[in-house]
Amino acid sequence: MNVLASFDWGYIWERREVLAEGLKVTLELAAIGIAGAFALGLVLGAARAYRIPVISQLAAVYVELIRNTPILVQIFLIAYGLPKVSKTLQFDFFDVACIALIIWGGAFNTENFRAGFEAVPARYREAAYALGFSPIRTFLNISLPIGGRIALPSSINTYISVFKNTALMVAISVEELTNVAKQSIDLDFRTWEMMAVLAVTYLTLVWTMSALIRLLERHLALPEAN
Amino acid sequence: MYEQTIGRLPEWAQPVAEYILYTGLENTLKIAAISVAISVIVGVLLGTLMTIDFLPVRAAIRLYIEIWRGLPIIVTIFLLYFALPTLADELHIGLLSRIADPLRASIVGLGLWGSAQIAEATRGAVQSIPKEQHEASAALGFGWVGRHVNVILPQAWRRLIPPLVGLCVGVIQNSTLASILGVPEVLEAAQRQTNALAVPTVDPQTLEIAGGDSHALEIYLGIFVLFFLISFPLTRLAAFLERRLVQ
Repeated sequence: MNVLASFDWGYIWERREVLAEGLKVTLELAAIGIAGAFALGLVLGAARAYRIPVISQLAAVYVELIRNTPILVQIFLIAYGLPKVSKTLQFDFFDVACIALIIWGGAFNTENFRAGFEAVPARYREAAYALGFSPIRTFLNISLPIGGRIALPSSINTYISVFKNTALMVAISVEELTNVAKQSIDLDFRTWEMMAVLAVTYLTLVWTMSALIRLLERHLALPEAN
Repeated sequence: MYEQTIGRLPEWAQPVAEYILYTGLENTLKIAAISVAISVIVGVLLGTLMTIDFLPVRAAIRLYIEIWRGLPIIVTIFLLYFALPTLADELHIGLLSRIADPLRASIVGLGLWGSAQIAEATRGAVQSIPKEQHEASAALGFGWVGRHVNVILPQAWRRLIPPLVGLCVGVIQNSTLASILGVPEVLEAAQRQTNALAVPTVDPQTLEIAGGDSHALEIYLGIFVLFFLISFPLTRLAAFLERRLVQ
């Protein structure tokens, strides 16, 4: 087949530095997005599970707004809408990408952690209180380790989606992997070479993260569940 | 009645709202409807086939699911739009090269992703039907196809409805990806309108140049609300159906 015969490994090698630079930006975006989504989800998920007044209700509205709108619309709203509110809300597009990924992942993660914390049996907390644990120590020593484990598989799924969503930043010209590959295609028309790089890179990373879920599920299974 | 409600908006907003609602929303719903149809047909077929006892078929479908679920949808769409034509030319398959158009690439890209989701859900739903049902229908003389079409799938269908409603939400939201290839769905329509409004105008008498206002905040906020109004009832419905199923 000609596509295979004309597949130019040399071209990929030629573009290696540009592609590596793009992959670096993709991984940076993913790392910031995942870390932010973890922090935001943990705090708001706890607020939801323990019904902390005001914060809990606001978090519920935030979750519904973000989960029911396309992330691409959120990105455009942050990139082009917010600067209209105030000049101080004008960010460069890399920051817009980070903010959008954190807000999006945070909403899904709030639900993951809420479900996790709510699944911790109340009798565990009652036992902690009976032993004289303060509410904060009860959360840190009882609810977090147990609820966090329960929330882990679904939250890793959210992190995988955050990672895949970095590819959307091609829409606001952030120089991440997908954008770099597309620019190469526009320039040299070596379409298959670049698409192969994209497909292999994304699938390798996504499949590795999914394998991690299965590994962690077995490793961190609650003793009681066995 | 429709015209009247739009008529109360500020002057600049009327043509913008009309373009987004008529051209944009029409394309969004068209993309979503066709993608969902492809997802259901292909997904139910592959998901049912995944329950048969022949490893190569199961492995091939598993690979299909993991690839289209694993790739970012935009990469799938780029694959169809940029890479497929070269392959189609060499294999002399005209049908394939016809997918390489922005609208069709978006629809098929979403369909590949959606069918992977539905295939996985169907496999679970079919496997949840007790094996006595298979044995009983086999005893009544049904073949594999007749057994699944007449006995298994009608029962599995109940479990498929919540993920199906969820898929509709996902597909409607992800149809905004078509804007990256310039298909005039809701987001692209909004983008075109902000760009058009931002063009500076020259006064023919005084030759004074006035900077245009893109109204980006109002327009993007508007489509944010539009998507919310479409998605929210559907996600509530999916949650309700899920709860009813558990009972």
